[in-house]
Amino acid sequence: MSDIGPELPQDEALAAEHALGVLTAAERAAAELRMARDPAFAAKVEAWRERLASLAEEVEAVQPPAGLWPRIAGGLSVNDNQAVVRRRLRFWRGATVGSLALAAASLAMVAVLATRPPPIIVTPPPGPMMNARLMPTSGGRPMFLAAYDPQRKAVLVASLVPPGSDPTHSHELWLIPADGKPRSLGLVEQGASKSMPISDRMAAMATEGASMAVSVEPMGGSQQDGPSGPVAAIGKLARI
Amino acid sequence: MAAISTHDPLADLLPRIASGDRAALQQLYQASSAKLFGVCLRILSNRDESEDVLQEVYLTIWRRADRFDAGRASVMTWMSTIARNRAIDRLRARGPLAYAQPVDEMEIEDTAPRAEALLEAAQDGAALHRCLAELDERTAKVIRIAFFEGVTYEALAQRLDTPLGTVKSWIRRGLLKLKGCLER
Repeated sequence: MSDIGPELPQDEALAAEHALGVLTAAERAAAELRMARDPAFAAKVEAWRERLASLAEEVEAVQPPAGLWPRIAGGLSVNDNQAVVRRRLRFWRGATVGSLALAAASLAMVAVLATRPPPIIVTPPPGPMMNARLMPTSGGRPMFLAAYDPQRKAVLVASLVPPGSDPTHSHELWLIPADGKPRSLGLVEQGASKSMPISDRMAAMATEGASMAVSVEPMGGSQQDGPSGPVAAIGKLARI
Repeated sequence: MAAISTHDPLADLLPRIASGDRAALQQLYQASSAKLFGVCLRILSNRDESEDVLQEVYLTIWRRADRFDAGRASVMTWMSTIARNRAIDRLRARGPLAYAQPVDEMEIEDTAPRAEALLEAAQDGAALHRCLAELDERTAKVIRIAFFEGVTYEALAQRLDTPLGTVKSWIRRGLLKLKGCLER
């Protein structure tokens, strides 16, 4: 067919394509990352989701079997490690300079990355892309965005902290898997984006629900096994 | 989104779910599971897999309730997006065979709205269907396939045996017309 006519502007097209679902896994992840960083773009995607959502409404509702809710309810506590992470955070906070430092640290972020679901059934092919928005522990807008790409075994992280806003500290990114022990992923420069390759061992810990956090550290990063400074931001890995 | 003017009764449940209230999740499940199960079944055409996916969907909602932003989307749209993405992930995990079926063999009836579902559809839905009907048949069909099967541009091009650029162009123009029509 040769319908001649204008096309959507680039951004609008990408937003529509993301909402429609024609992008590859990597493009989807990039679009999700951009949504977290660019509210205007996110609004476009949401608008397209709303537009297309009524396609789903044409689907006939089907009552799921009665046994499904108990299965879901039974899985809830197992999957929620929020409490563990909070306990850790309280520990970190208490162990460091305290609330004033935390306020000062509003410019710093901690990201926690979670990885893909552990082997439940058969080995899933490459596993889903996941991302996390690292929010300040005191609430507010995200300070870091992270995405985990299981195919490239890399974590992409973007710092939304204005460059140069905290020249005397380094921001260190941590992955906190189900055992609650933070593992360093490396330093994140303020205002910069980077891709960090991770080891197979670390990749295995990057499962859905794992946390990512960013701590504020002395220049060069924490000198000890875990974070030594306050946690600036934290979030959980979830599938895109 | 600006279009959400009326109060969304499900929206009150999300903050409770985010704070760990299981009863709120159960309420949400009762109100929405039949719809979302229908979406999973439509995409996967398999009951067992749809049950697994539906379970994952509510676990995801449980974990991600804090990310829901009532200013940006309705709860139902947010949840159907999660259900659709999960079901599509599952479909893609089946491997390339899932895409092997040529479009011509697909039943058209299958992609057309069912009468009773249409009756239930909200005004917005009716508008979308009217606008899809204004597109040429193939474009509308390709958009439905993309929506319900999560088929990437590449896979669509392969199935239709059409150059990638052409398929992209059909869909982009189709979406542009759809937008124009919905804004009228």
